[in-house]
Amino acid sequence: MFDYVLLFVIALSALMAIVQENLYKSIIILTFQSFSLAAIFHFLLATDVALVQAILGAALLPGLYIVALYKTTQGRDE
Amino acid sequence: MEPFQVGSFLTAGALLVIGLWALLMVDNVIKKIIGANLIADGVNLVLVGIGYRPGGFIPEVMHYFYETATPSDYYNLLEFGEFASIAGYPLPFVLVLTNIVISASTLAVMLALAIVLYNKYNTLSVQKMFEEAE
Repeated sequence: MFDYVLLFVIALSALMAIVQENLYKSIIILTFQSFSLAAIFHFLLATDVALVQAILGAALLPGLYIVALYKTTQGRDE
Repeated sequence: MEPFQVGSFLTAGALLVIGLWALLMVDNVIKKIIGANLIADGVNLVLVGIGYRPGGFIPEVMHYFYETATPSDYYNLLEFGEFASIAGYPLPFVLVLTNIVISASTLAVMLALAIVLYNKYNTLSVQKMFEEAE
C-alpha cells in the first residue's frame, strides 16, 4: 500500500513543481519527488540505483538548481 | 504482469507527459530544464520496472542465502540456474545507473546555458528573449 502512495506522490509532486510560481519552492518539491523515486527503486529490487538516485536527488541536483537561480535572479522572484 | 509494475509504468507515463508539457508550454527557462529532467526520471522508472520480478530478491544482496547461513553453507552457494530463476533481472539496473549520472551532467550543462542566456538578455522568459532578439 505504501508503495502505491509513493507512486502517487511522485506524479503529484512533479505536477506541483511545474505549476508552482516560486522557483525555490518548486526545487524543494522536486527533492521530495526525487527521494520517493529512490524509495520506489528500492521496492523494484534496484538497491544500487536507489542509493545513487538518493544522493544525486537530495544533494547534488538541488545544489545545482540553487546556484543557477542565485546567479540569474539573485534571490528575487521572477 | 504484476500490479505494482503496471502502476510504476503508469507513473512513468505521467512523468513523461508532465515533462513534455513543461518543455513545450511553460515560458520559464528553468522550468523547461526541470521538465527535461522529469522525462529522464520517467525513462529510468520504465527501465527499472522491466527488471522487476515479483517475490524475487535483490541480485546484489542475496539475503535469501544469508538468512539461513551456517559456515558450512559457504561451500555450497546457489547454483547459477537457481540464482537466475529467483533474482531480479540486473541488466536494466546497471543501464539506469549510467543514465542517472548522464542526466545529472546534462542538467548541469543546461543550467550553465540558462545562466549565459540570462546574462545576455537579462530575463528568464523565452517570450521576452524572442522579443528582444528581433
